[in-house]
Amino acid sequence: MASFPPRVNEKEIVRSRTIGELLAPAAPFDKKCGRENWTVAFAPDGSYFAWSQGHRTVKLVPWSQCLKNFLLHGTKNITNSSSLRLSRQNSDGGQKNKPREHIIDCGDIVWSLAFGSSVPEKQSRCVNIEWHRFRFGQDQLLLATGLNNGRIKIWDVYTGKLLLNLVDHTEVVRDLTFAPDGSLILVSASRDKTLRVWDLKDDGNMMKVLRGHQNWVYSCAFSPDSSMLCSVGASKAVFLWNMDKYTMIRKLEGHHHDVVACDFSPDGALLATASYDTRVYIWDPHNGDILMEFGHLFPPPTPIFAGGANDRWVRSVSFSHDGLHVASLADDKMVRFWRIDEDYPVQVAPLSNGLCCAFSTDGSVLAAGTHDGSVYFWATPRQVPSLQHLCRMSIRRVMPTQEVQELPIPSKVLEFLSYRI
Amino acid sequence: MYIKLVSSDGHEFIVKREHALTLGTRKAMLRGPEIPSCVLSKACTYFTYKFCYTNSSTVIPEFPIAPETALELLMTVTFLDP
Repeated sequence: MASFPPRVNEKEIVRSRTIGELLAPAAPFDKKCGRENWTVAFAPDGSYFAWSQGHRTVKLVPWSQCLKNFLLHGTKNITNSSSLRLSRQNSDGGQKNKPREHIIDCGDIVWSLAFGSSVPEKQSRCVNIEWHRFRFGQDQLLLATGLNNGRIKIWDVYTGKLLLNLVDHTEVVRDLTFAPDGSLILVSASRDKTLRVWDLKDDGNMMKVLRGHQNWVYSCAFSPDSSMLCSVGASKAVFLWNMDKYTMIRKLEGHHHDVVACDFSPDGALLATASYDTRVYIWDPHNGDILMEFGHLFPPPTPIFAGGANDRWVRSVSFSHDGLHVASLADDKMVRFWRIDEDYPVQVAPLSNGLCCAFSTDGSVLAAGTHDGSVYFWATPRQVPSLQHLCRMSIRRVMPTQEVQELPIPSKVLEFLSYRI
Repeated sequence: MYIKLVSSDGHEFIVKREHALTLGTRKAMLRGPEIPSCVLSKACTYFTYKFCYTNSSTVIPEFPIAPETALELLMTVTFLDP
């Protein structure tokens, strides 16, 4: 079974440049499971990188120092030795929010991570909750961790302290995402078939339960304008929710197996979903049309084969910040970088047992987490976007497809704006 | 070497020749449409941005375009460079 379409010569595809790796420290005991790195995340302002190191711990590293370390010490970087060097270098004190490494013991297997930061104008509240002091200051940066037992713990990134413990899910919290508008609204997706909406500014009050999934919910993502939420799950589910009224907008049909990851493009005009049916689909979330299909197995599997154990499950998908590239991880030990206008990858990189991936905040690096708790980093394919594409993104950030269709412009420009070219 | 591009409202933009020839500007100079200065200035800024970051190893920064300008700019560029 081939990994690329027949007309593509696999040897001609460019290999991505490795930037570095963060290897998990040796486990104190030999255990078959519990080491997995199910999730990686970058802080919205690019200051921190976090990943679940396995064995119930999450590691937070200041990102720019981490990058510098990769450049100074070559590509291999064992986390234990690096932390000593970093803390000694930063011994000149006085800075208020000097970024520091933290290892957080969450007390249970960590399945999901998300960074959230408050927009300064929207907050100013000082709340004491039982044994935690919870205050939103200017530079509040939070890390939410979703655990095996259904709990969500909220940590302060700068101090590493626990701020809140959200208890309501009855099963694994498989994904977490903050609304991008800085309102500190958190959505959690769980194997208990629900999604829950939490207001962290209101003591972590749970505002809403989104019901509709018939099976495990694997992932969720907000649209960049925070108006829509996509949730994906087992039994081919891809749902879109209106986040002003918390109602379901539509179900997107097309996948043949569990859908396990989703991500919006930076202008909200495109939605990427990854499934165990070996495919990534690029949808128009405003009308449910499938615009592109990125296959990982050739010839493409029949629905029955796609719906089972086909050894080519796609585990993760992520949109780059330039709105032109998508990265996917599949079980054939490869990371693929795609352009949204080509149906074969423009770059690939080898990766065994990859489980999750995320682009850095500035889009220049892709991080991928693996089964043994490690993280690998590559330079992403970057080029100056065309002026037409930059205009398209600017327009689509404020205009859904239906409005675009009404514009008095030539059909060629209309097709381009609707991402149909 | 520089060339001069003039907008419909009389603004003159002087840009490096090698930067500007990336975008159908030769066409624009010869018999081009009237382009308002808000659009033309953005296009000129893009020329420099593209020249600066093409084949460079530094991180490519964002290039913001206001939505009001974007549609007109897109139409202009599509006309000049079909």
